Amino acid sequence: MGRIKKKGTSGATKNYITRSQAVRKLQISLPDFRRLCIFKGIYPREPRSKKRVSTSSTPSTTFYYTKDIQYLLHEPLLNKFRDQKALAKKISKALGRNEVSDAARFEKNLTPKLRLDHIIKERYPTFVDALRDLDDALSMLFLFANLPSTENVPPKIIAKCQRLTMEFEHYLIRTNSLRKSFLSIKGIYYQATIQGQDILWLVPYRFVQRTGGDVDFRIMATFVEFYTTLLSFVNFRLYTSIGLVYPPRFDAKSEEQGAELAAIQLEVQSGNADADMQDVTATQTNEKAQTEADRLLSLPDAEPSEEPQTNGDAAAEPVDGETETQDTSTTLDQFASLDPKADTLLQPSLTADASTASKLFESFTIFLSRETPRHPLEFILKAFGCKRVGWDTSLGEPGAYCSEDDKRITHQIVDRPDIPLPSPPLTDGEADMEDGEGGAVVRKSNERVPGRTYIQPQWVWDSINAGQLQRADLYAPGATLPPHLSPWVKAKRGEYDPTVPLAEQETAAEVEAAEAEEDEVDEEDADDALAEASEGEEIDGVRGDEEARALEDELEDEDGGMDVELAGSEDEEEDKPTDAAAGAADDDGDFGGFSDNEADADVDAATRAARDHQAELEAEATGKGVAAGKAGDKKKAAREVSQAKRTRAEREELEDVERRKMMMPRRKRKMYEKMVYSNARKDEEAEVLRAKKRKIEKGGGKKSKA
Amino acid sequence: MAQRAGQKRKVVEVPRPEAEESEDELVNGEFDGALVDDGDSEEELSGEDSEGELEDDEDAEVELDSDEIPSSEDEEDVRQQLQDLKTSNGNTDVKQLGDDAGDEANYRITTDANGNPRYVYGEIDPAYDSDDSDAPATANTIGDIPLSYYDAYPHIGYDINGRRINRPAKGEALDSLLDSIDLPKGWTGLTDPTTGKALQLSREELEVLKKLTRNEVPGEGYDPYPDMVEYFTGKGMEEVMPLSAAPEPKRRFVPSMHEHKRVMKIVKAIREGRIKPYRAPTEEDKEREEAEAEFATYDVWANEQPQPDHIMNIPAPKLPPPGYEDSYHPPPEYLPDTDEKQAWEEQDEEDRDRDFLPRDHAALRKVPGYEKLIKEKFERCLDLYLAPRVRRSKLNIDPESLLPKLPDPAELKPFPTTCATVCKGHEGRVRTLAFDPSGKFVASGGDDGTVRVWDPVTGRQCWRIKLSSSEPVNVVSWRPGTDAFILAACCGETVHFIVPQGSVSSPDLEVASQELLDSGFGYAATNASKAPAGPDKPSSSAWSRPSAALQERGVLVTLTLHSPPKTLAWHRRGDYFTTVCPSTAAVSTAIAIHTLSKHQTQHPFKRLRGLAQSACFHPSKPLFFVATRQRIRIYDLQAQKLEKELQPGARWISGMSLHPLGSNLLVASYDKRLLWHDLDLGAMPYKTLRYHAKAIRSVAFHPSLPLFVDGSDDGTLQVFHGKVVGDSLENATVVPLKVLRGHRVARELGVLEVAWHPREAWAVSAGADGAVRVWT
Repeated sequence: MGRIKKKGTSGATKNYITRSQAVRKLQISLPDFRRLCIFKGIYPREPRSKKRVSTSSTPSTTFYYTKDIQYLLHEPLLNKFRDQKALAKKISKALGRNEVSDAARFEKNLTPKLRLDHIIKERYPTFVDALRDLDDALSMLFLFANLPSTENVPPKIIAKCQRLTMEFEHYLIRTNSLRKSFLSIKGIYYQATIQGQDILWLVPYRFVQRTGGDVDFRIMATFVEFYTTLLSFVNFRLYTSIGLVYPPRFDAKSEEQGAELAAIQLEVQSGNADADMQDVTATQTNEKAQTEADRLLSLPDAEPSEEPQTNGDAAAEPVDGETETQDTSTTLDQFASLDPKADTLLQPSLTADASTASKLFESFTIFLSRETPRHPLEFILKAFGCKRVGWDTSLGEPGAYCSEDDKRITHQIVDRPDIPLPSPPLTDGEADMEDGEGGAVVRKSNERVPGRTYIQPQWVWDSINAGQLQRADLYAPGATLPPHLSPWVKAKRGEYDPTVPLAEQETAAEVEAAEAEEDEVDEEDADDALAEASEGEEIDGVRGDEEARALEDELEDEDGGMDVELAGSEDEEEDKPTDAAAGAADDDGDFGGFSDNEADADVDAATRAARDHQAELEAEATGKGVAAGKAGDKKKAAREVSQAKRTRAEREELEDVERRKMMMPRRKRKMYEKMVYSNARKDEEAEVLRAKKRKIEKGGGKKSKA
Repeated sequence: MAQRAGQKRKVVEVPRPEAEESEDELVNGEFDGALVDDGDSEEELSGEDSEGELEDDEDAEVELDSDEIPSSEDEEDVRQQLQDLKTSNGNTDVKQLGDDAGDEANYRITTDANGNPRYVYGEIDPAYDSDDSDAPATANTIGDIPLSYYDAYPHIGYDINGRRINRPAKGEALDSLLDSIDLPKGWTGLTDPTTGKALQLSREELEVLKKLTRNEVPGEGYDPYPDMVEYFTGKGMEEVMPLSAAPEPKRRFVPSMHEHKRVMKIVKAIREGRIKPYRAPTEEDKEREEAEAEFATYDVWANEQPQPDHIMNIPAPKLPPPGYEDSYHPPPEYLPDTDEKQAWEEQDEEDRDRDFLPRDHAALRKVPGYEKLIKEKFERCLDLYLAPRVRRSKLNIDPESLLPKLPDPAELKPFPTTCATVCKGHEGRVRTLAFDPSGKFVASGGDDGTVRVWDPVTGRQCWRIKLSSSEPVNVVSWRPGTDAFILAACCGETVHFIVPQGSVSSPDLEVASQELLDSGFGYAATNASKAPAGPDKPSSSAWSRPSAALQERGVLVTLTLHSPPKTLAWHRRGDYFTTVCPSTAAVSTAIAIHTLSKHQTQHPFKRLRGLAQSACFHPSKPLFFVATRQRIRIYDLQAQKLEKELQPGARWISGMSLHPLGSNLLVASYDKRLLWHDLDLGAMPYKTLRYHAKAIRSVAFHPSLPLFVDGSDDGTLQVFHGKVVGDSLENATVVPLKVLRGHRVARELGVLEVAWHPREAWAVSAGADGAVRVWT
């Protein structure tokens, strides 16, 4: 007989190690362990069976992969941490002896400097890996760039974050790699594509961020430390890949004046600038630079001929022949499927290409009004090819292309209520004269300059997401904006899609229910009209009346309840949960079989028909005219019949599913039920949305009628 | 004398003669001759001769050798002696010697003071082996004749003394012997334990071994006790101790003036600013350092190499992109109404499926800051480093594909769905019922001891008979086949064969039935002598005519067993039937097979393991199925052996039903299970159906349609579609169809028996509530 095997020496146990074991093994404190884990990207695992993995009797919550921890043992940072610990001891000793200067000297000279370069290389062996993981880093750094400096967040870190993020934005502008953006209530989402990697990040709006009580800034700071290192290396790589010097020159003075993006000046690498110009012609950036230069040269000529654009659609036309030829070679043709049954192949969106992205706003001169968010607009416009962005001096002096009076401005982005002012009829000639005078004329805030397109900021976002310029009149100041939709939602089958008309998405049942409701509403309207007529005489505020009205309402409700469709639909809905319950109870082999409702429904229909017939007969006998209600009744009856048919079909289907479910093994059945449940939830959500939409449409229709 | 000889021998052995000894011997005179001429020596020699001739040669040589010794010694003495002894051939001798000397150049001839030639002899090399055989002495004196002359003799010649020289034993025998034991050099007869080969030792090694065995120092030139060489001790070499008793000098306690001077010089230089001890970092340095710390100065991915993804590496999931409801100006249908808003606010923060409420802002300028952004980012940080990660495979398939394919419900029709008629009349439970082969009537029997025949369409009672007032009717069963109209009813221990009369049957049928029943009496009468002589057991059953009153009512034959039968099953031809009496004390008589035409009863089993519950015949083959409490055995009636044993796994089988094709068997059990056995598949059930809440009493296959129904104590019948395909490649499909409810549960008993119409999809059930229900 062999020796009794010791527990926890083989199998899955060896793969996992609890957190306390890990800390003990590494001989560091818990905060140090936390920092190490953040830097090295080590995370706990969820073993397949916790019980089998844990060696102790107490349930431990976190397990790490043993090899991760083993790997940490050789981490150079561990030594730094130990040095830090030793230094802390020295300093505390010195302070205990009241040798403050010594302590200060220790702190100044002996503080170990953490370098995270090797970790970056380790965690992201290739540059693409780093890009793939940039989402969180960018979101975090943009957040910190917008934080107020507090004791938790020193201004140095904020400045660094600001600078790094601005450098990154400059790269995006330079290469036109921004693809999409979205105004959400949390902030502005941006998506860029660099080397085929989609990077999505969130930039908060420029408000003072409220720091909640239970946010540990030490953890955030550790992440920021890592992310800044990562982003600086990424920026270095990005800049050098397009032949720019890194770090770019940073003008602290203009930054103080609010230059923002303009505070950073890009420099072309002097050593290989010529080489770049020649051999990197394949890269888009240089092509871009070339076209840009050409365009700038041709600008003075082009400008006078440039008509002020009233409609944005016309602006999509190419400016000169060169670009046109490029257009024909690179842009994709749209393939529209002729047969609706055929498969549709996905095509990249229009903005997926840097060359198209760079031309979107290329021909415009855009002015940002004082109330618009300057930084995001400037960034987006520039990233999508607009070279001439001007803004109000109150938004910061340097970097603005022109002032408000400039007559080259084609578009002005305003975000203020449109209070109609009797604007003096300015002719172009007069404007020219004003310009000639020096543009010192003080305009009133709502004054319009003819020849400019005034648009709200959402126009920019919707245009870039659609890949083409949107109709400017929809976005005029003071107009009700079309809904701003997320560009990342791809509608799936059965889900609600706000871009498609409601009629295309509704199920037959919903349509019928809606129709029924409509009829009801019509009736109600009639009732309402009656009620209003009577209400006019009533005195408001009398309690008895209110009660009476409540009663009336109830009665009306009952009327509604009597309605067969409603009852039917309610039944259906009730049936579903009970069926689900039955399904759950099925586990011990219960068997529902066919319900008898089918027959009941038939009977119901028959009795109803009989009743109707009886009523008709009676009416005939009494000599009353049923004809008035008859047309409606007939319609109703037809609907009822179709409804009954549908409910029966549904019920049959349900029964069929039940029977088939009974033949499944239990495990499979559970899985099936789970899937059905989740699908049903999605369907429900979509249904709710459709119902709301219908309501809104109806409301809108009524309003318009009224 | 012996001692002398020994001495002499010793002298011969030991290499060579000291001068004194030889002088001694020379002084003594011719020792050789004395040795030889001695009578003793003669004796000795003869002894030697007799001993063997091997040594003879040697001795002879030795003698010759010793002869020569003087010549090699002092030449002058030898010459003198020779001159003295043998004057006749002295010259030749000298000449010989001279020749020898000339050859050897051992001497020079000089003239002495008198002018005579003088032989000056050189030093004799002592290592010179003087007893070589350069000049062989003629041992054999036979002269120059061929040796073959002596072939016929045992000797080969004569020595110098005239004695025979015996032929040495150097013939083939010796040679072969010597050859065979030709030992290799260094042979020891030992084997080397390390190599397994013969251990060969060289002479030196042997020498060492020999020394070791004698406890001597093995090495040749090793001196175990060398003289001590005194290097450090001894006279004139005594060490003097280094300690000094002198006191420590003062300079050891006083700072060095010299050093002080030098330090002061540096201090002065520092004070004057000539030396700068520490260069403060310039602005440039600071900037450079900062830039290094702040910004990357090199490309980490300069020589990047992609690494294969490790299987344990789980990258953090990305945050999902924002949806429509995140928009600052979403479509209005995404905005929550008041109810939803309230519900959201009332929900616990952790339960919310979305951590914000969609809001609509008419313009971008109206969008406020998002309060929880920092919190959200912080939580994302926590998730990144604190949340356990696990890989989950996500199923993205249509749930429909999981459902098994079932036949269309339309294909499954017809099957009974509703209760068409209820036949009431029995007092107490209805225990049993049966459809007649034509399908026109249903017979039932119950606790009240009556057998009733019903019309299933109308529910009208057509005929009734009271068989007993005390005992219930346990089984009713129609004889299969339409040629007769016979109902077998078991009431108590008696099996009654009834031909119902009146409106139920036609007169022709009645007559045929009566003839059929009565024929047995005739057989019993004619073969009366045979019957007792047969190997049967003493008949425990009695075929007889019932009382006249019963005969009047149509009961023509009764068969009395000695315990009440619970099951009666007909063979398909209607001549044989089997009864099972589970409660019998004698196990051997529990199952009986009766022949109606001969009024014969046989007990096929001498011994039966387990209590018999039910039995039936195979529809086409001569197989007989017997169900005991837990097993079902299939016997071949022709071969009279056990064909197969099934193990349904039920604890107590209540009944069974064989598919009309005979390849599938349904087993009902009191432990709520219905078991489908495919007889081709094996002993275990093919399907176990457990849809009843209480014990299943009975089960029945439809005779022609792919249906079966079971009845349970929970008062329900369950109808299934059970399609059996003729070939054994395809498994049977079982589809649950319908639960038929209607029977009341009376004293924990529900449906006691079920039966099918022979052609239509009509089922009948006997309930404990006293009703017979027909389901269509």
